[in-house]
Amino acid sequence: MELTREIYWNVGHSVMIPMYLLVTAAFSVLVWGLRKRLATYRLGQALERCDRRNERLSGVLRDIFLQARVLRVKGAGTAHGLFFFGFVLLTIGTTLVFVQADVLDPLFGLRFLTGNFYLFFSIVLDIAGLVAIIMLLGLAVRRYLLRPKDLPTVGDNALMLGLLLAILFTGFLLEGARMAATELGTDLSWWSPVGLFFAQPFAGLSEAAQRSIHSGLWWFHFALVLGFFCAIPFTRLRHLLLTPANIFFRDLGPTGKLTTLDLEDEEAESFGASKVSDLFWKDIFDADACTYCKRCQDRCPAWNTDKPLSPMKLINQIGEVSFSNPEANLIETITTDVLWSCTTCRACQEICPAAIEHVPKIIEMRRNLVLMEGEFPGEEVTKAMENSEVNGNPLGMAPATRADWAEELRAEGIKIADLAAGETAEILYFVGCYASFDKRNQKIAKSFIKLCSAAGVTVGILGKEEKCCGEPMRKLGNEYLYQMLAAENIEQIQASGVKRIVSACPHCFNTLSKDYVDLGLELPVEHANSFLAKLLQSGQLKLKQAPIDCTYHDSCYLGRHNDLYEAPRQLLKAAGAYLHEMEKSRQESFCCSAGGGRILAEEKIGERMNQKRAKMAAETGAPILVSSCPFCMSMFEDGIKGADLDEQLKPLDLLEVLAERIG
Amino acid sequence: MNILVCIKQVPDMESRFKVAASGTWFEESDLAWRINEYDEFAIEQAVQLKTEVSGADLTVLSIGPARVKEALKKALAMGCDRAVNLVDEAAHEKDSFQIASAIAAFAKEKNFDLIFTGMQSQDRGSGQVGVLVAEMLGIPALTTAVEFAYADNSVTVRRELEGGLRAAIKASTPALVSCQLGLNTPRYPTLPNIMKAKRKEMLEIPVADLLKEEARLTTLSLAYPEKKGSAQILEGDVADLVDQVIGILKEKTAVL
Amino acid sequence: MKALLVGEYREGKLLETTYELIGFAQQLKAEFELFLVASEDQLPQVEAKLYLADVNEAKEYNPALHKQLILEAAEKAGADTIVFIHSSNGWDLAPRVALALSAAQISEVVEIKEDGYLLPACNAKLRRTVKAATGKQVITLQAGAFMPAEQSGAPQVEKLSITATAQTEFLGYEQAEAGEVDLGKAEIIVSAGRGVGKPENVAMIEALAKALGGEYGASRPVVDAGWAPHDRQVGTTGQTVSPKLYVACGISGAIQHLAGMKKSEFVLAINTDKDAPIGEVADVLVVADIKQFAPALTAKLEG
Repeated sequence: MELTREIYWNVGHSVMIPMYLLVTAAFSVLVWGLRKRLATYRLGQALERCDRRNERLSGVLRDIFLQARVLRVKGAGTAHGLFFFGFVLLTIGTTLVFVQADVLDPLFGLRFLTGNFYLFFSIVLDIAGLVAIIMLLGLAVRRYLLRPKDLPTVGDNALMLGLLLAILFTGFLLEGARMAATELGTDLSWWSPVGLFFAQPFAGLSEAAQRSIHSGLWWFHFALVLGFFCAIPFTRLRHLLLTPANIFFRDLGPTGKLTTLDLEDEEAESFGASKVSDLFWKDIFDADACTYCKRCQDRCPAWNTDKPLSPMKLINQIGEVSFSNPEANLIETITTDVLWSCTTCRACQEICPAAIEHVPKIIEMRRNLVLMEGEFPGEEVTKAMENSEVNGNPLGMAPATRADWAEELRAEGIKIADLAAGETAEILYFVGCYASFDKRNQKIAKSFIKLCSAAGVTVGILGKEEKCCGEPMRKLGNEYLYQMLAAENIEQIQASGVKRIVSACPHCFNTLSKDYVDLGLELPVEHANSFLAKLLQSGQLKLKQAPIDCTYHDSCYLGRHNDLYEAPRQLLKAAGAYLHEMEKSRQESFCCSAGGGRILAEEKIGERMNQKRAKMAAETGAPILVSSCPFCMSMFEDGIKGADLDEQLKPLDLLEVLAERIG
Repeated sequence: MNILVCIKQVPDMESRFKVAASGTWFEESDLAWRINEYDEFAIEQAVQLKTEVSGADLTVLSIGPARVKEALKKALAMGCDRAVNLVDEAAHEKDSFQIASAIAAFAKEKNFDLIFTGMQSQDRGSGQVGVLVAEMLGIPALTTAVEFAYADNSVTVRRELEGGLRAAIKASTPALVSCQLGLNTPRYPTLPNIMKAKRKEMLEIPVADLLKEEARLTTLSLAYPEKKGSAQILEGDVADLVDQVIGILKEKTAVL
Repeated sequence: MKALLVGEYREGKLLETTYELIGFAQQLKAEFELFLVASEDQLPQVEAKLYLADVNEAKEYNPALHKQLILEAAEKAGADTIVFIHSSNGWDLAPRVALALSAAQISEVVEIKEDGYLLPACNAKLRRTVKAATGKQVITLQAGAFMPAEQSGAPQVEKLSITATAQTEFLGYEQAEAGEVDLGKAEIIVSAGRGVGKPENVAMIEALAKALGGEYGASRPVVDAGWAPHDRQVGTTGQTVSPKLYVACGISGAIQHLAGMKKSEFVLAINTDKDAPIGEVADVLVVADIKQFAPALTAKLEG
């Protein structure tokens, strides 16, 4: 017996004409449906997202065809991934059938679905179909029986699951009916095990009955597939096409870098975004690419502390406004409480399987509130802004006292060059406001100097000429104040002639290394952690090990913004630390609440984020909570007390741990 | 309606003050400058009034060296129409009477319907200039305003008295209102207004053109009261500590 | 020197600050007479001449009328120095009188110096010594800066007749609405930190604040823990305060807190750790457990 099957068995080749006419019609509906959406994307501002194509395509390959982003979350992610692989195999199988039956065979009499390849083809597709069905059933059970909290389920979901299951089932039934009539009892049938199973009910029927059932099923199956194509643009099935496209159009970095506004633009009538048309086209496209998987919402520290912000809902609201009422005020729809709740921790963006950019949209709307309305989350923030304008720091401390902490070290004989006064050094240590003025955080600055001094690196500071880097102001939307502060810092840095900058504050580090580039600063900027890790590796810095039980908090601006996960752990190891990792660590780290300028704002809604994080740290049983950020330090000092954990948990900066172990 | 708001640029009170060589005022190096807090309420009230009354014109005035233009620019960004700098390199040597005389000389022919000032300045805190200007111009002064209303050429002000008490008073324009903290919420200038402010008129008048009076007050010296930064540390038995603390509070503060 | 002391009377009551004026004049060893707009049953107990304008005729504070009356009294008294309390009415009236007399005004005097008067400058960060360059002078005294004189004797009253004059119309008194606590204007604040130990102990701090005649506040961790309401929070994310006396109870001094209260004129801190950062801004640091110290101090103040 020949190892193959007859394509168009029973229905005959005559179906080709109506079939292709109908397929063309369905595709026309699909294209028409998508084209209609194009007009809405075009409401947004221009943005180049087609450059570096190879990089973009390889991302699509990795994240779509290998499901890399999707598979990062076990359970639903795994199910989606496996379903996807099954679905792709079935699509490839169907394409092979099409190539043979409608192209190669009629034109050249060429058939390749024969022999051992056919056997392989047959069994792979059968298993793929089975896996796809099991995964869909699993996903249906999750959605409708297990009902994960706050998973947005709409009619689309039932339609998608139902349609896909119906297509797969009718496919198998179709195969079963055909096999009952043609393959049952042959060895060949074993190569279609699922088909064989579905053939059993038809086994006892007459061939005529089998043929008429088959014919009916064929048309039904075909109709379902046509329906599937037509449904894509009008349901959440959109994501089949738009999510891969969104991965292609994704932001290629630097991670978390914001667009720099041209504030001198005389033509500009408004700044930031209050309407859909103020956003970029990609922001609207993002909304369409959302799969409603709620991974962002699950990780959002604001959502998890009972604040009104859900990154997913925010994206969905932008989509709704864009497609239903594009002239509406976005900020009124989303509400200011939502916008001010964001700590810009990037947990949402980091996990999004569709590469949606949540944070820049929030910042654009904050920019509108601040620059156009003069509005802030509270009077305390307005005050901090004014303090920064006048004193160069949000705390309102006297600028002349900014480097007082350094005097104490100088008195001990440690040299710290005053770069603003013409002295020179290998590196400029950009101290930041909290390490400059807060007695607790000054210990971090002192530790860094001591470590550098032990490693033989000469360090200079800008002293009282250093200003706030502007990060909290920028993240709160005050682009004007940020650019003012940045310009003053850049002028001082350039005048100092220094060639390298190191900061122990992740917020300063991220801002100086990524954001200042647009304003003319092009020096290498490093965080103290990676800088010291290198000194340790080269042997310049020697540490003696002394045991310490601790847990480590990955600060958002070090981890998710800069991928600095290993350097701090290497340093801790070198210091002799035993690390108890928190459940939420590295990419999954939970924000301390200080990001996004929230350090300047009162946390008025919901549970305290810093207390929640302190509790997570305490759960590890470690008595020390190590972090690498002055903002985190301030938050944990308060959070630990607020959560009544001060008896069992103490916050330390990594640099403090290291400085105690200088060899 | 013609409105004038008088503002002063003062050092941020957190600044590290150093007594100048003259021994009568502080050195200007290392100071961070800002609009006197009370005057921000005055500006805000004037701007609010301007938007309520059609055709109002709002002038902001400040006496001092070139640096006060920064304060004037902020006032323009908040919504004033034009700025006047009475240029005086030695404004800190003038007493309240002289400052008021210069302002009154400027305001005399201008027929301002309303003049707003802060209740006092943060650096000198004498609280005289507003009332003096009004007296010199012969118009009523309504001081320490925590509420303000204008209707039909008359102003109603709630004055803040001691112990949570307020007094409501009323006067016809022209009048002068001195503003207490909390009168309103001073706005944060929007970016378009900051940009517009750059193109607004900034008039400079040498103070000597307006001021002919001699000072009536002589500053003999300026000094630090006591050194902060090193707290007096008290240790021991609680009962003794309580007595010591009461003694210190009586001696060093006016609260007991 | 011949001083005319302008006492204050409001809503049927002589204000206690009037005795501070007398205390000042006594400390200055100056001859003095008094001026008051008051009712005859509320006169200060002092052995001195008193020019009295009947409040039933003069009504409540009317600067134009008061100025006219004071000028008349000053002339009668032959006074070269007119002294007011630096109060809402004092600072309203003093410049009017000074201008009319072509006199220098010295505002908010806290101390008498050999060669002049000491005034606070820059939120009391600095002190300025000044003197008048004119023959006559007008002085206002910081409330509470001078010891009140003993209350004894009876004044020799000379009544002043009243010729109506007014630039402003008095509409009435009203009590400020009791809304959220405005710590920003409080003169005395006693704040609770985590050192108080447990929520019930915040009441201890409230009691101390009451005994001192001030408001109570709290640090962020105390508010965060729900031990005190939001409107009591002192710090950069709460209210920024500048009282005459700030008592930090069991507050170690996180930067957010320090930045919100460092403008206080006098800071008393109570903490078990004498190296706590609060020591940076405190004038006096009492090393003690606030749970013992606060009730003891409250008892002493009340007793």
